[in-house]
Amino acid sequence: MGAITAERFQQGLTYDEFVSSMTRNQDRFIANEERVRLTKADVDAFKRRPLRVAILAADWCGDVVANLPVLGMIAKESGALDLRIFERDANPDLMDQYLNQGQFRSIPVFAFFDDAWNEVGVFIERPDSVTGRRAQRRKEIFAKHPEFGSPDTPVDQLPEDVRARLQQELQKMRDEMADWANAEVVRELRAIVEGRTTRGGARQPDRPTQPAA
Amino acid sequence: MTAPVRVRITYCADCGYEPQALELAGALMRAFGQRLSAIELIPWEEGTFDVRVGDTLVHSMARDGGFPDTGMVEEAVKMAVFG
Repeated sequence: MGAITAERFQQGLTYDEFVSSMTRNQDRFIANEERVRLTKADVDAFKRRPLRVAILAADWCGDVVANLPVLGMIAKESGALDLRIFERDANPDLMDQYLNQGQFRSIPVFAFFDDAWNEVGVFIERPDSVTGRRAQRRKEIFAKHPEFGSPDTPVDQLPEDVRARLQQELQKMRDEMADWANAEVVRELRAIVEGRTTRGGARQPDRPTQPAA
Repeated sequence: MTAPVRVRITYCADCGYEPQALELAGALMRAFGQRLSAIELIPWEEGTFDVRVGDTLVHSMARDGGFPDTGMVEEAVKMAVFG
C-alpha cells in the first residue's frame, strides 16, 4: 500500500472501534466471531510473525461480515496482529491500490505489513475455493428444486414467492458452509503470514509486492 | 396514447448497491413520471445489478459489467413508452 505510512495506519479504526461503529449487520458479525475455531497450530503460526494489517471494509458488505471476524479472532487469540480498519468509500486512494482484478473495489482487503512497512501479502474478498463451492452448491439447489427453474433465469423473472424461497435456500447454504469457509480463510491467511504466498482471496493477475512507503 | 411500462431494478443489497438503484429510480421518476406503470426495486445478492424495461433486460452487471448509464436506460424507456 504505497500510501500507507505509520501515521496513516494509526488513523484507521481499531477492530473494536469498527465493530462498535457498525450501523448494519453487527449481530451477524458478532455471531460469525463466535463461530470461528482456531487450532493451537494456527494460533502459534500467527504468533511467530507479528504484523500490521491495513484493512479496507464497510459494514454493508457480506464478505466483510463473513471474513473480517476471522481475522479479528486470529488477532485476539494470537496477540500478534495490529489491525487498523479504513472505510472503503472514505479512503479511495487506499482502495484503488487494491482493486480486485485491477478493476473492482471488492472488500474486505487485508494488507499485511512488516515492521519496515514492506507489504508481505494481501487477501481480497474471499477465497476462490469458497466461491467455487458456493457455485457448485447453487447448482445443486436448483437441481433439487425444479420449481426454481433454470439457474440462469434472471431473478426478477421469478414469482415473488419462489424468489423468497430461493433466497432462503441460498442463506441456508451459506450458513451450512460457514465453518468450512472460515477454515479456508484461516488457511489462506496463515499461508501469507508463513511466507508461503503473497496472495489470498480472489485470484489476481500477478503484480509485484510493493516496497516500503 | 402511450403504453404503460414497468421498470425492474434488481440490485445486490449485500454489496451496498442501494445508492445506485435509488439514483436510477429517481432519474426515471423525474424523466417519465406517470408514463411508467411501476418502478420495482428488488433487493438481491450475488453482485447483481440488472435493469429490465418491460420484458427487455437492458442492463446486466454480469453480462455488461458495471452499472448502467442512466441516459441509456432513459433511452430504452423512451423507446418502450413512445415506440
